[in-house]
Amino acid sequence: MSSFRDFPLPNLNRRNLLQAASATAAATVMPRILDIPAAYAQAGSTLVIAAPATPQSLDCNFDVSLGTFEAIAALYDGLLGFEKIPDAGVPDARREDIAFHADKPGGVNMVGKLAESWELSPDAKRVVFKLREGVMSNWGNELTAEDVRWTWNRAFELGGLGAFYTAVTGLKKPEDIKVEDKYVVSFNVEDPNPLLLKIHTNLYTPVYDSVKCKAEGGTDDPWARKFIENNSAGFGPYQLQQLVRGQQAVFQARADYYGGKPAIDTVVFKEVPTSASRVQLLQGGAVDIAQYLQPLEIISLKNVPSVAVETVPASFMIWIELNAKIEPFDNVDVRRAMNFAFPQQEVIKAVYQDLASPLNGCMPNIYPGFSGEFYDYEYNLDKAKELLEKAGHGGGFKSTLAYNAGDPVQEPIAIIYQSALRKIGIELELKKVPAGSFYNFVTDRKQPMIFYVDSPWCPDPGYSLTLYFDSKSYVNYSNYVNADVDKLLAEMAATADESLRLEKAKEAQKIIMDEAPWTFVCYPNYTMARKADLKGWTYYTSNNIRFQDFSR
Amino acid sequence: MTSQPQGVPTLQAAPEEAGRPSASGSWWFFLAVLRARPQFALGYGIVLLIILLAIFAPLIAPFDPQQANPSAFLQPPGWPYLMGTDATGLDIFSRVIYAPRIDLAIALAGTLVSAVFGSIFGSIAGYYETKRGLGTLVSGFIMRSSDVIQAFPVFVFAIAVVAVLGQSLQSIILAVAFVNAPIYLRLMRSQVLSVRRLRYVEAAYIAGTSDLGILARHVIPNAMAPVLAQLSVNIGWAILLTSALSFIGAGVEAPTPEWGSMIAMGYQNIITGHWWPSIFPGLALALTIFGFSLVGASVEVLADPVRRGRLAGEVRQRRGANVAPAGQV
Repeated sequence: MSSFRDFPLPNLNRRNLLQAASATAAATVMPRILDIPAAYAQAGSTLVIAAPATPQSLDCNFDVSLGTFEAIAALYDGLLGFEKIPDAGVPDARREDIAFHADKPGGVNMVGKLAESWELSPDAKRVVFKLREGVMSNWGNELTAEDVRWTWNRAFELGGLGAFYTAVTGLKKPEDIKVEDKYVVSFNVEDPNPLLLKIHTNLYTPVYDSVKCKAEGGTDDPWARKFIENNSAGFGPYQLQQLVRGQQAVFQARADYYGGKPAIDTVVFKEVPTSASRVQLLQGGAVDIAQYLQPLEIISLKNVPSVAVETVPASFMIWIELNAKIEPFDNVDVRRAMNFAFPQQEVIKAVYQDLASPLNGCMPNIYPGFSGEFYDYEYNLDKAKELLEKAGHGGGFKSTLAYNAGDPVQEPIAIIYQSALRKIGIELELKKVPAGSFYNFVTDRKQPMIFYVDSPWCPDPGYSLTLYFDSKSYVNYSNYVNADVDKLLAEMAATADESLRLEKAKEAQKIIMDEAPWTFVCYPNYTMARKADLKGWTYYTSNNIRFQDFSR
Repeated sequence: MTSQPQGVPTLQAAPEEAGRPSASGSWWFFLAVLRARPQFALGYGIVLLIILLAIFAPLIAPFDPQQANPSAFLQPPGWPYLMGTDATGLDIFSRVIYAPRIDLAIALAGTLVSAVFGSIFGSIAGYYETKRGLGTLVSGFIMRSSDVIQAFPVFVFAIAVVAVLGQSLQSIILAVAFVNAPIYLRLMRSQVLSVRRLRYVEAAYIAGTSDLGILARHVIPNAMAPVLAQLSVNIGWAILLTSALSFIGAGVEAPTPEWGSMIAMGYQNIITGHWWPSIFPGLALALTIFGFSLVGASVEVLADPVRRGRLAGEVRQRRGANVAPAGQV
């Protein structure tokens, strides 16, 4: 006969007790508050996700908000995807194989999604896709080459993000996309373009069901903007069952998905704005996945037996834009001094709890072509002072650092940086910007210093470096201009010779790192916090989850 | 003619109640009240402590309240960090005792501005309410404007004021003043409405004193007592409002030591067991508001002639009871 003494008791201390009590309360009360149906929380074929936001728009041409990423990945498929390989650090996890493969077309290890096969011309000016036959959309229309053509024509006509994708691939007019046959489509450009093939792995280049879109849009809305904003017409593994913005989105698995019906039937994507509540829900078992948690919360979850927490190196980067058009950051020595005065290691330890690695480059360190050897900004206040004196700012100066109120790590980083800079006479005023208007502050480029978090979605050095450092790029928020860098980036974009591209990428990184247009903060890891019985997680460079990967 | 009519409450203690001469009598009466009502003594003690901390914070604080020390992040309460440190290594104790400098300054300034402007407009509204012509229109306009301000929830209105004026110390003071002004306005108006009908005011009017002269010399001084009582209550609320604005990010900018901002910086860590960055400033804030509420309650009692008279009687009775045994001896 067993007594209570036979049961192993966990180490009971105040912290454990508080955590257990809050988790129990969350498990009991929160599903009711959040209106999570009990059947959802219990059912094996249902996945409940606590996310910071529901999708705002389902039109990826105009929306890059949290939640929209997951929705697009569930509702749509593109032509290609990266091959998946086991993650080196996390045994149960997988990730995309984004390494350079000299033996593969375009140097990329890809698998067909909507495309069955593809052929890239040796001069990288033309790529031909043969589509899978018999692939049906969630409206019952078969995938044809016309769908691909219509999708890219929509990008040309509506602009938005589509315009960016056509530009980086060198597509200049709608006629560059040709329907060769019912199931064959080609992309044709005038100059060699190394991204012509790779771009089709991007989450935001899905294919629409043109038959349904044309029928819904009619003559008033020929590109079905209103319809796509609130509905889906794609060839992805899920279809939209419900979208109540600010509350939840529900996705239903498609039995007729060409890749086979996903293991999880229903996905409930709940909006839970505060990360502490998401932690409680996961601890209490009310949800299966809690997204975007704070480093301390991630650490605390590692002791919860019913929860599995995995963190992997990711394509995320966080940095501080040093506006090269605003004094004194127009001076390279000042920008370099700002980096020598940044206590990078202490920030990673105190703010990120070591769940990040130093940003020792100007593109993701997991991407091919990355060079980490040009970072020489170890924390050194004497060196910083010396550079300030050389720049004529030996007495220091005053500046402002704007940070996002919606990102809890930015405020502590700003405070630590402010304290460090005070030691060399730089008075930093901190400006807390509401999350809703922060992006406008960034794109205005009027702040002397402002935080930015981003990840270039195409694992390519030319794509990544052009995004942030080409003087003509919209995303070059630090107003960085260097004619040599521009020239190198243009040369990279005009050749398909991968070895030559990698060589030029290295040269460009050397110049950029030396001129320090950013204060280099860190590469935050991507973290998956899930119920322990949930399997199949894969890390994508787009830093989102794909429901079809999961099973129990 | 005198400007001090009979029966008008003032804050000066009545010597005859204490049975002592005026100056020391007032002091003695005050002390006697504190003995009779220990909760008032507690309130004054807390407020005094907060004021002393605000003044002597640089001498008491062991660390610079704005100098982060990331190598000592989230240290639990102990030595040398008495109340622990936050996620950036800022010393909570030093920040808690520095915070009243900002909170009290904003609350005092905001409350005084609201009291001054509210009282002036309230006096005008009350004095001219029953007069015909432009005066009635002005009075009506002032009261309707006050209605509009009060129609909005105080906090939402304060956020709107800060949003319009931009985030700065002056904006927060103005927001505090703006949302509190209608309280003083209404209070003063009701007082003026009753005072202006008193005979000495009528006498001043018949003697040819101007409206401004009557208001400034006879009406306002005799209608101020409830406003003064309201001040101490409002300072507590103003501190709460200042902290609430900072908590949501519309008030004082981090890392300036301010209780609301400190709670906001630390509350996310409670779930992970790091309670001290937000609990200590929260306690300090609660204690301060409690102290000011008790002081407000005491001023309310002392300013009300009926309640003060009753209290004076109670004090006399206690004194008599204390003295009697000695006399027997």
